[in-house]
Amino acid sequence: MPHRALYLPVAMFILCTASLSQGAVAPAASMVRIEVTSQQPDYTSPWSPGSIGAGVGAGFVISGNRIMTNAHVVSNGTFISVLKEGDPNPWEARVLHVAHDCDLAILEVYDASFFEGTKPLEFGGVPALESEVSVYGYPIGGDRLSVTRGIVSRIDFQPYSHSAVDSHLAIQIDAAINPGNSGGPVMQDGKVVGVAFQGFRGDVAQNVGYMIPTPVAKRFLKDVEDGSYDRYMDLAATYFPLLNPAQRSALGLTDENGGVLVGSVFDGGASQGKLQPGDVILSVDGTKVFADGKIDMDGERVEMAEIFEGKFKGDKTELEILRDGKPEKVTLEMTRPWPFEMQAKGYDKRPRYVVVGGLVFQPLDRNFLETRKEVRPRMRYFFDNYVSDHIYRGHPEVIVLSDVLRDPVNTYARPFADNIVSKINGKEVRTLQDVAAAFAEEGQFHVVELLGEGRPIVLDRAALPEAEERIRQRYGVTNPQNL
Amino acid sequence: MTAFLRLVLAIALCGLTPAHAMESMRGILDAVRATPTPAAAPPEATATNVAAAATPVATPTPEPTVEPPRPSKGQQPPVVRVNVAAQAPNFMQPWRKNPRTIRQGLGVVLMDGRILVTAELVADHIDVELEKPDTALKAAAQVEVVDYDANLALLAAPSADFLQSIPGARLDESVSVGDRVEVMQLEPNGRPVTTPATVTTIEVGPYPVDENAFLVFKLSVPLQTRENSFTIPALKDGRLVGLVMRYSPATQTADLVPAPVIAQFLRAAAKQPYAGFPRAGLTFSDTRDPQLRRFASLPEGTGGAYVTKVLPGSPADAAGVKAGDVLLSVDGRAIDQDGNYEDERFGKISLAHYVSTALQAGQKIPIVVWRDGAEVTLEGTLAPRDRSRMISQPYIFDRDPDYVVVGGVVFSELSRQFLREFGRGWQEDAPLKLLYLDRFQSELPPDRGRIVFISGVLSSPNNIGYEGLGFEVVEEINGKPIRSLADVAAAVDNPEGPYHRIRLAEDPGLLVLDVDGSKADEERIKQQYGLESLRHLESQD
Repeated sequence: MPHRALYLPVAMFILCTASLSQGAVAPAASMVRIEVTSQQPDYTSPWSPGSIGAGVGAGFVISGNRIMTNAHVVSNGTFISVLKEGDPNPWEARVLHVAHDCDLAILEVYDASFFEGTKPLEFGGVPALESEVSVYGYPIGGDRLSVTRGIVSRIDFQPYSHSAVDSHLAIQIDAAINPGNSGGPVMQDGKVVGVAFQGFRGDVAQNVGYMIPTPVAKRFLKDVEDGSYDRYMDLAATYFPLLNPAQRSALGLTDENGGVLVGSVFDGGASQGKLQPGDVILSVDGTKVFADGKIDMDGERVEMAEIFEGKFKGDKTELEILRDGKPEKVTLEMTRPWPFEMQAKGYDKRPRYVVVGGLVFQPLDRNFLETRKEVRPRMRYFFDNYVSDHIYRGHPEVIVLSDVLRDPVNTYARPFADNIVSKINGKEVRTLQDVAAAFAEEGQFHVVELLGEGRPIVLDRAALPEAEERIRQRYGVTNPQNL
Repeated sequence: MTAFLRLVLAIALCGLTPAHAMESMRGILDAVRATPTPAAAPPEATATNVAAAATPVATPTPEPTVEPPRPSKGQQPPVVRVNVAAQAPNFMQPWRKNPRTIRQGLGVVLMDGRILVTAELVADHIDVELEKPDTALKAAAQVEVVDYDANLALLAAPSADFLQSIPGARLDESVSVGDRVEVMQLEPNGRPVTTPATVTTIEVGPYPVDENAFLVFKLSVPLQTRENSFTIPALKDGRLVGLVMRYSPATQTADLVPAPVIAQFLRAAAKQPYAGFPRAGLTFSDTRDPQLRRFASLPEGTGGAYVTKVLPGSPADAAGVKAGDVLLSVDGRAIDQDGNYEDERFGKISLAHYVSTALQAGQKIPIVVWRDGAEVTLEGTLAPRDRSRMISQPYIFDRDPDYVVVGGVVFSELSRQFLREFGRGWQEDAPLKLLYLDRFQSELPPDRGRIVFISGVLSSPNNIGYEGLGFEVVEEINGKPIRSLADVAAAVDNPEGPYHRIRLAEDPGLLVLDVDGSKADEERIKQQYGLESLRHLESQD
């Protein structure tokens, strides 16, 4: 994802009072202005409730008295109100389903009479390149409904910046998409062909906006039909083109049978126990995989990964593989591998931590890391290579001594902040629960061992009760742990 | 995410103002023979050597000091100009060389007629030339001994006659904090200019090349930019106190390789082959923390340094020292809570100085440690560090990097020198996995062997599809575990069947090369990419 750093989620930092509109634009009866009060968790003081902010986004009414918007519009929301065109009253709403991996959410309004007079929008297909689309929303520059127009510039897989790790189909348009457009419908011929969701900062690129296309929106709607969102599924294995003739023939392949080489297989995913490194994937659900990793789908050559885009939790995937030169068939049951979550941005959850004697322990994840100006090499490696080097096997959670809250009891522990914990009181630390459990062990001292540090941190337990009270008061650590 | 910077000091010293920019402001003393300051001097061109330091001097002339620089009178100074042409190999494309550089420094003529310089001056030298300051007479010199850890080298003059008019300098090891010394530079006409300086700090600190710590003298001194940017000697009453190895124009402080380190180097250099400074092979931390002391049941009021790591195969390891021991005394010297001993001359100073500089390799020394609540006396025999055991070499100079090319796929061994090819920001920009393996190599199994990885692919018909490869660690070739490039050469020389099977520690996991096809590509690869040889295995044993 080369441009990851450049993405700015089209977020919503303008707050204003309710707007009135007798707008005559086409989908006015379907448009919803969403005002959100949110609380951003504070990973530098994980016990603190976090800072309160407010924002505005757009949404639109869909069937079943529901409102569709972006996940990032309502993430970390504490209070959501919605306004419809021509009605001055804010109505309280809540999140029914949220999909952080594709930046979509569905809201419902506590009082269903909100939907009286509104008109649910219908979804269309994928618009053609160069065709014209209209973007509706409440972007910066005024309070009332805004509409901008543009053409479809590109249809491609793109990183979705909201989660920082997911990529799906996205449509680039040249209409301006600005903060406040987020969640608004992009229309063509009276149907929704996309949901506006991200763009570039003005100093990076102009007239580049992205919308979530209908296959992604429809998949989300289908996923939640059973009442819960199960997220996108993944093969949970890496695979590589097989273009080298020697490599092909050594694996028992001919020019005709295509195939890609399995590199790594990750724990907790569909391929665990089913695929092995060195296997060759010949076909997926009966569709031939070409040597460059592409497949034919609806007459188009697309990445093999697109097959998994359409899968739901528990779906089966049939693979034909070549293992040690012999053809075999394997059936995968699709799921989302847990090790992938650590590198994704997290929302709607409180930071987890344990504080003992002013030593703060937190699991390493993206939210935690983003609070750091500098990341030490070991932590950088543990984060970046957590999945690829299977670090999750030894460290289902990478526990970091993230801070030392200055107190006489821990004076000499200060230099050891920002190290990864290996053992506490002789017990291996693999999860935050392990930290809490290890500190509950009996003994005269607490002994914390850190990776690469030869000298343990020692806390004399006799001095702790007094220190804990002092630290609680001075630093406002209302709760010594959140597991 | 930014890198964790190990040598903060090093960063403080870099500067980029070109030397000639200063000429107009300081006409009298500055370079008539303006030679570019080495742009790519080893090993941390931008950071740690005096070249970088001598370049900037942001202020035209230092604030007037009580004693301004003055020309020396009378006798010839014990120095000679040393001009070095150097060229480092390119570790990214190991058959290539990086651009040539010219470095100029001053060498200190010793009593025995040999010439002392910093090792950085002669690193990767092609040609070393001596030049007499007064007559500009030139002659070729030989590098006799070089120690990059201690940043010192000895040169041999072509003949005794050449240096006849230049007196030899003796070492002065008696300098202590507060002493006044003089830093010597030469005017373009060969006249010596000395700048008064004060020794402000004596401590054990990092040296430029490796992370080794030795004794350092810090001077407060306003030095000017001059052509001889490397190896500026500091003298006291005509005796050598040390060589400047770093200079910070911002703070006007210079770091010296001091006389005690030079003396130890000369003692070691008297023996052939040169073995280097003795090291104990352990790291320690302080025991000031009362909770740690109680945990280690150390009695109140005693000293002791907490052993944090013992290098496998090191003298400390052989003596039976273990991580978690508390060092109470070494060779009868009591160790305090900070790991210092009481030095007759310098007062409290790190044990590292005593072991590396006051003791000799081969010497047997008693080591007293506190273990399980009791004193244990061990005996250790000091030895220089055995670099051959290192998984990733911290530096490689004066030889070309090893490599093996098979079917256009280039195999290299991990070294910090390779990582440094990623430029000034190498600690950020080099491949993370390799950075990790280099930096934390002491945590890998001691029998891990060296790390062989694919450093590039020279595209040819037989390696089609492998163009995107780079920096994957190699585990196995043709069923043989790979722990060195010699292993690679042996494995590809004995293929089983028509394919070379190369197993990687990471994705894509398996590469296959056609044995005959790779052979057939060899000539073409050599010609097209300008390789004289597809193998270089100079340092393999």
